[in-house]
Parts: sequence; structure tokens; C-alpha cells
Amino acid sequence: MAEVLRPQMMGARVSRLEDPRLLSGQARFLDDIQVPGMLEVAFVRSPHAAAKILSVDVEAARHLPGVYAVMTHQECPVMLWNKESYKVGQPALADGEVAFVGQPVVAVIAENRYIAEDAAELIRVEYQAITPVLDMRDAIQEKPRRVHEHAENVFFKKSRQTPGFDEAFAAASHHLTASFRTNRQTAVTMEPRGTAAMLDAASGRLTVYASTQSPHRMREDICNLLDIPEHLVRIIVPEVGGGFGMKAACYPEDVVVAQAALRYRKPVKWISDRLESLESDVHARDDIHDVEVAFDDDGKIIAIKDHLMADGGAYPAYPWSGAEGETGLAARVLTGPYDIPYLATDIDCTYSNKTPLGSYRGVWGPIASFIQEGLVDRVARHLNLDPADVRRRNMIRKEQFPYRNAARMIYDEGSYLESMEEALKLIGYEDFRKRQAVLRQQGRYVGVGISVFVEPTAMASSEAGEVGYESCTIRIEPSGRVTAAFGLGPSGQGHETTMAQLLADQLGVPLADIVVLHGDTDSAPYGGGTGGSRSGPIGGGAALVAGRQMRERLIKYAAHLLEAGEDDIELGDGKAWVAGVPDRSLTIRTIAQTAYMDVSKIPEGLPIGLEITGRYLPKRPVTFSNGTHIAEVEVDVHTGVVKVTRYAVANDCGRVINPTIVEGQIHGGVAQGIGAAVLEALRYDEDGQLVTTSLLDYLLPESTDVPRIDVHHIETPSEGEGGIKGMAEGSLIAAPAAVACAISDALAPFGGMVDTLPVTPDMVLKMVQDR
Amino acid sequence: MKPAAFKYFRASTTEEALQHLEAHPGSKVLAGGQSLVPLMNFRLSRPEVLVDINGVDELNRLSVEGGEVRIGALVRHQQLAESVDVARAVPVLSTAAQHIGHWAIRNRGTIGGSVAHADPASELPAALVALNGSVVLRSAAGERRLPADEFFQGFFNTALQDGDLIVELRIPVSKSRFGFSEVVRRPGDFALVGAYIERAGSSGAVTWFGLSGRPERLPVDAWPQGESDRRALLERLVGALPVDESEDYKRAMAVNVAERAYHQAEGEK
Ligand SMILES: Cc1cc2nc3c(=O)[nH]c(=O)nc-3n(C[C@H](O)[C@H](O)[C@H](O)COP(=O)(O)OP(=O)(O)OC[C@H]3O[C@@H](n4cnc5c(N)ncnc54)[C@H](O)[C@@H]3O)c2cc1C
Repeated sequence: MAEVLRPQMMGARVSRLEDPRLLSGQARFLDDIQVPGMLEVAFVRSPHAAAKILSVDVEAARHLPGVYAVMTHQECPVMLWNKESYKVGQPALADGEVAFVGQPVVAVIAENRYIAEDAAELIRVEYQAITPVLDMRDAIQEKPRRVHEHAENVFFKKSRQTPGFDEAFAAASHHLTASFRTNRQTAVTMEPRGTAAMLDAASGRLTVYASTQSPHRMREDICNLLDIPEHLVRIIVPEVGGGFGMKAACYPEDVVVAQAALRYRKPVKWISDRLESLESDVHARDDIHDVEVAFDDDGKIIAIKDHLMADGGAYPAYPWSGAEGETGLAARVLTGPYDIPYLATDIDCTYSNKTPLGSYRGVWGPIASFIQEGLVDRVARHLNLDPADVRRRNMIRKEQFPYRNAARMIYDEGSYLESMEEALKLIGYEDFRKRQAVLRQQGRYVGVGISVFVEPTAMASSEAGEVGYESCTIRIEPSGRVTAAFGLGPSGQGHETTMAQLLADQLGVPLADIVVLHGDTDSAPYGGGTGGSRSGPIGGGAALVAGRQMRERLIKYAAHLLEAGEDDIELGDGKAWVAGVPDRSLTIRTIAQTAYMDVSKIPEGLPIGLEITGRYLPKRPVTFSNGTHIAEVEVDVHTGVVKVTRYAVANDCGRVINPTIVEGQIHGGVAQGIGAAVLEALRYDEDGQLVTTSLLDYLLPESTDVPRIDVHHIETPSEGEGGIKGMAEGSLIAAPAAVACAISDALAPFGGMVDTLPVTPDMVLKMVQDR
Repeated sequence: MKPAAFKYFRASTTEEALQHLEAHPGSKVLAGGQSLVPLMNFRLSRPEVLVDINGVDELNRLSVEGGEVRIGALVRHQQLAESVDVARAVPVLSTAAQHIGHWAIRNRGTIGGSVAHADPASELPAALVALNGSVVLRSAAGERRLPADEFFQGFFNTALQDGDLIVELRIPVSKSRFGFSEVVRRPGDFALVGAYIERAGSSGAVTWFGLSGRPERLPVDAWPQGESDRRALLERLVGALPVDESEDYKRAMAVNVAERAYHQAEGEK
């Protein structure tokens, strides 16, 4: 039968269905939740990096008019992490000691936030400060002391090496060493964290409104930590104004708010302010890598040795330690898109008296790319070769797929070399080199940085948890309109649009007839939520699986009602018809009416109604997206200020569901990458005080810092459902390295290379003066 | 991040504002709120009484008369940046005003607030010093006029006394040529370091900001023609300022921005 050409929703530039409400200010975020009698929480947080708590006096606060209750560890005796997982867990409210600035100590619950903050000021906590542990290398040596008396500072240690590493490394003709440093960052979502909880007096169930990426995971955490059975808890996720992995965790504040609602039988809300965000949202990227690379005369890289260190902060973040995630995966994908046969890695993750390290978009990737691309550029400069050529020489080739890397990760097919050539064309590489030479004559320093990345997506386990599958429940209502519920937790990615696109193709209904539901554990089928670039490939896969099942059922109905063979039925435009005989048709609405109202006409063997839950578990534990970013920068060698002037991306995430949305993801990731490369750093002083406590000190990229970005799409389908690969992190994985390499390139006449992120103006001046 | 409780009065005339300030010692003026409100939200500032002057129209006048630019305390940064009269009379002032924060900030922030707040890295206080301007203050006791150099005393510290209201800034229209340059990491940020250069014939002055606790104006008897001599002079001048030991970067920058401002001044008029 000839394929009928019909507009495909998959791959179309559909405008986001979410945008009208977001752009017109109609979206409802956590702080918009208002319930009569709702109380608000303010936290008293530790002003010390490390201290024993000698006493806590809450009496004055308790008696302030408008204060409803004051909670300490006694009123909320909950530990995040049981003692078996790590030797250390964070109490929801401090218990006898504090281990980082910003750690919640006391919660004040009052009529409103103003009174709560007034009361918080009246609470007297007597501390005895102890020497903080702040330096990563010292901490690994148990210096100046253990962060937690009964636990070694190094809480995660792992070594791995390719067989034959030592011989291959020693035999290589060239060796270089470098030490790479990425400084602490945090996600800085536009909407901060927040939680509201209330008991339903009638049912006795607890409803928790949470600004989270993982509704079911949050339910599980709340239930486990507070010992409530799951069927008595409902999580509702309102609009989420950014998550970036930071909202994948369950935080002490979430537990305290839920506990307060249970204990006082009152609706309770807490919303983080920016100060709290910067000091208590999980931090990320606090890593040092001591690296050695071995290569031959042609620039072919033979072996990499890396001592990976991460400062995990005072406690492992719950339920996922970012330090472990950043180093663990970096050690497995450190060779990136290059065919480097030998790899040896040693990981040390340590505790310190800083905020816990959790996940932030790209997790391991921005660090690993920075190192991998930094090494390639060092090899190129050492041998006086063109950096693009050295990349060509080392790149994994098409015929090598599926490729097993030196850490035994299997890469499915991608377009590695192709993406780089495409990006070089977009930026006009040959022409650039000429321009660069001319400008140098004039005392202007421009550079390009090439960052070829791989992005493991749709992983069986990630910061979104260990749920490797996703579910989709499709319900076609009697009217023929569709609701589709997912366990995803979007925070701006546009799932309501992309999932609807996939379903529209399967069900043959217009996009406007589909509503995508998410973020309510009472309606959503069990799922892992959003994180680790899994919603497109796995959530989308679930949409396709469920959609196909529903399609088959619709076809059975149509065949039966139109008295035709199933093979002859076509669906589209809200109708079913017999192929080639468009007059013999009926609407999906008629089918739905039959399924619910006219049940005697239901074809034999089919159940009543049109409701299906489909689940999708990818066969591969991971699918790799890839691409290349090229940044062009100009460095002002008199002020040290870096400006990113041009930017090109060739991106391959398999079959694209919606190019506009993919490009939006890339734009955001590049902006964050520029932040990582030249602006963002959380700084602590020698007492362990966080000194970057507002956006005046923690510098985010602004629109004027981000140039126009040229994006070219390449599609190498995955073997999974729909050929889809994930793509939400690749842009932030690649961008910091692209900018860092570009700065090194611009400053080549001065000899130095970037080894620390972010690159600040004073660092640039040092590189210029160190010539 | 909620302020401590405070009382709030909204004045509609200067007299009314002064009465409130007089009646409530320790009260604070609320102008654009762009500096005060964040401080209150952090509870770093906890005035018991706020006197809102946003309704005082007479403080919102901007004129060039009698060889002076007169800028009412409530004039917004954006008004200053857009004023054709100012651009004609003291072009460097327009340029500097455009470098204050972002449009949204400039729409709210007032010149009186900027001068009263006296952030050492802000553009306007330094402009006032560089341009030999003065600050007109009024209190229940009457009006007085202070040269900018006396008004700014140190880190966030001015000659403002309890009960004082800044009513106007005055800047003489000068025959000198001025240049302005600053280093920022992002457009719209407070300056890491900035400089104004005055060229009056062969002499002039350099005014740095962001370098120490307050804008510093240093006269120059004769500008060297050659760049390296000029840099050497600037370096000597920076060396004499109370710049924090750890601020190597700022010291290095000071000479660079001054040099850029010097070239700017060359192009002016
Ligand atoms: C994001 C951001 C970026 C910024 N960037 C810059 C920048 O690049 N450069 C720069 O210079 N500034 C910058 N600012 C500060 C801005 O210029 C402020 O507007 C200014 O410092 C204060 O002016 P205001 O009118 O908002 O004063 P307010 O915040 O209302 O008041 C500030 C202080 O001045 C006092 N005060 C105000 N008016 C009077 C008066 N008439 N008499 C006596 N006392 C008075 C108040 O009592 C208070 O102590 C920025 C601000 C923000 C929020």
C-alpha cells in the first residue's frame, strides 16, 4: 500500500503549547499556591562552617505574636540517608552540630514570612566553632581533621584501568601533565525551590506541592523519611521555573515542611529566597583533575591517566551525591569522542565544610569535556599541529560503531567527525585563522575553541533515580479528545508540546485535541521523572509505545464499524477511513462514543473504554548523542575581560521531535556554559563563609554575554523507540570547553593555556604577563 | 529576605519630607529603592521609618542654567542619560549615566540615591567629583551646599547627617574635555575600576572610582604626550592611593582605564 503523505508532527517546528500561559503571566508556580490559614516557614541557618551546638533557645521566638510553632531536630527527628548507605547522613534540622554555612538548624512557622523572619532573629543558638575543612587536597589527607569524626573524609574511592595501561603509557613518545580545576557553581533557577504541604481533613491524606523534577521520587522520599504509606501521599508539581538537576534532590526543607503539616495539621509553605538558594541548593562542579596524557609524534593520543577529586560538601546530597556522579561518570567517558585506547582513573570524593554537591545539568560532562578538549589542544600545541587536525586524527570513526571505549562504555552510532566538519564550516574556520593572524598584528586577540562532545542520555540510572523506564497513560474521552499522563517532571523543556506531537502522529488527532498531564502522582502513572536527558527518549518512547497500542485499538474499532480489513484503515485529522475510499470514514469521536456509550458494538475481544498505559524500557542502558560546539572569543588583554563573539553548533540527538525546542535547549546550555567558563563561581573565605551570597557577587550570564548561535542539526537515529536520543545536557557539556579552548587559542602568543574555570579577568592578565 | 517592620510616610513636598525626617530621628529617605530595598530585605539596613520622596515633583527637575547643570535629587538615571541638554553641556555625564546598571534599574534609580548611597564603584559620585560638582542639602535647619570632594568621605560614607535631604546636584559647565572609561565583567555591572580624565589645555586631572573607598580626583599639571610617560605618571598617581594590598588587578587596571579615558577625552567635543 502506498504511504499516504500526511503532515508529520514529529520533527515539526510546533510552537510550544506552554508558552501562552508562561508569556502572559498565567502560569501558577509554587509561591502562587494560597490556601486559607496557610502558615509560612523561615529557617534559622548555620552561620558557621563547622561548629558544635551548645544550646538552642527558642522561647522568645515561640512567644512572638503570629508565631505558630518552632521546630528543632526534636520536632523533626529525620535523617537524610540511613547509616548503611554512607556513614554520614544530614539531619533535616541540625542535631548537635553544624557542618556548613546555610545548614538548616531551626524552623519557625508563623502566620507569614515576615513574622517568621522576625522570630528567627530572636532564636539564640550558642555555637562553639571548630576548624573548618575547606581544601580538597588537604581533606583527602584527613587534614586539618575529619569532617565527621566517625567517617573518613574520602567517602567514595574507585580505581579502574584498561589492561596493559602501564606498558602503553610508558612506551609513548610524548607525555604532558596538567591539573584542571572547576570551581563551585550552582544552578540558580529563576524560580527558587519551594514546598507546600497540607493534610486533607476528609481523607487524611497529605498533599505536598513540590517544585521538583521527579514527582514519584519525591513521594517515595517523603514517605520513606516520614514513614507514611504511599497511598496516603499525593505530590503535585505546579509550574516549575527551572530545575537543571538541582531540583532532582529531596532537601531537608521539603521534609520539614511535610512534617510540619502533619504535626500541626495546618497548611504550611516555604519558598526559598535567593540567599538561601545560593547557600543551600546543591552545589556542583567542585573538582580537581590531575592528568597525564601520552601520545605519539602524529598527535595520536594513546593513554590518559587521571586522578579525579571532588569536594562533596558536608553531606552526601539526598538521594544522589553529586561528587560521586561527577567523578564516576567522568571517569567512564573521559575519552569523549576520541579513540583513546588506554585510560587509568583514580577517584577520591571527600567531605568538606561546604554545601553538599548534587547534580547540575551536564553533571560530569562539562568537567570531562574541559579536560578532554584541553588535553587535545595541549597535544596540538606541543607538536605545533592544528587543533582541528589533531581532533580528526583521534576521532572515533563511523566503522567503529558500536564502539567500546577504554572504560568499557558502549557508544551507539553517532556523527562525530561529521559534526566537527559541519561546525568548522559554520564558523568559517579557515577564514578565521586568517582573520586571527591579521588581528594579532593589530594587538587584538581572538581565538576559536573546538569542543566535540558525547552525551550519554536516557540512562538506566541517573540523578533522576534508578527507574529506567517511563510510562504514559492515554485516555481518549467520550468526546474523542485525548489526555495523556506521564510521570515526567518538566521544568520548562516543553514536554506538553513534544509528547503531544508524538501522540498526534500515532492517534491521528490534531495537536489541539491532546492535553498532556504530568506532575500529579494521583493521575500520573509511575515514572522516573525528568533528569539525565531521559524525558525525550524514554518519555517519548513511552508515548510512542502507548500511542501505538491505542492506534491498534482504534484501527480495530474502525475496521469493525466500517466493515473493512484492519490493514486498510488509516487514521488522521481526527478520523478513520478506508484507504482509497475517503467517504467510508468515521470520526475518532464516534469510536470513543462506541467505546463508552454503545458498548454492545465494541468489537469482540476489546475492553470497554479507550484507556491504555504503555511503558517503555530502552534495550540499551544508554544512548549517546553527540555534536560539536565552536566558540569564537575576543580577549581584551588590557582588562582580562573575555567576550564570546560568535558561536556555532552542530548537534546530533537522533530523530528530532521539534527543532525549535532542541535549539532552545542548546541556546540555554550555551548561555550556562559561558557562565561556567568566564563568570560563575561560588567562593568561600578562609573561615568557610560563603562570600557569593547574592547575584551581585555570583555572576550569571546576561543576554548581552551570549552571541547569536548558529545551529545545524544532524540526525543519526538511535536504536530506541522513534530513533530519539536525549539532548538536554550536551550543550552545557560542550560549551565551557569550547570557550576555555577559545581563550587558550586567543592567548597562544603568550604561551599559557586555561586550566581553571571560570577564567576571571585577573587570571587572564596573569596569563598575559607570565609570557 | 523580608525587611524588618517599618513605618512609612509618603511626602508630596520637600517641606513635608523634611518635617518627617525631623520628627523621626533615624528615619531614611526612600527614593528609587534600588539600593535601599535590597539592603532592607537582607536586614542589613533596618530603618524604623521610611520617608518616600517619589511623590515630590519639585525634586524631579533637570535644567542647564547660569553655567551650571542642576539636577534634582529625584531625577532618574535614565532621564539623565537621555537628556539632550545634558549631552550638550556635559557630554561625559550622559555617557557615564548610560553605564549605570540596566534600563530597568536606571528607570527607578535616582541621582540623589546614588550620591547618598556612595558606593565607591558607582559612576555618578565619581562624575560629581571629576566635574567639580556640589551637593545641595536641606534640613529643618536650612540649606547648605557642599563640594563633592567634601561630601564623599569614604566607603559608603558621606557628609549626610540625620535629617538631611539631598535636593539637588550642581555641575559647572566646563571648558575642559572629559573622558570616561570603566572595566566591567558584564555590561551594566558596577565598575571593577573606572576613571574620568580631564584635559584642560595641557593640564587636567584623573578621577578614579572603584579603587579605594571613595572617588579620588588627582590633579595633573601637565599631561605627558607619549603613552609610556603618561602610563608612568598614572602609575605613580595610583601608587599614592590607599588601594588594598590584595587588589593587584585593580591597580593594574587603573592605569589602563585611565589611558582609555584619556583617549576618549581627546575625541570629546
Ligand atoms: C541590579 C543593579 C545594578 C546596579 N548597577 C549600578 C551601576 O552599575 N552603577 C551605579 O552607580 N549604580 C548601580 N546600581 C544602583 C542604582 O544606581 C541605585 O539606584 C542607586 O545606587 C540608589 O538610588 P535609589 O534612587 O535607588 O536610592 P534608594 O535605594 O532609594 O536609596 C539609597 C540610599 O540613599 C538614601 N537617599 C535616597 N535619596 C536621598 C535623598 N534625596 N536625600 C538623602 N538621602 C537619600 C536612602 O535613604 C538610602 O540610604 C544598581 C542597582 C541594581 C539593583
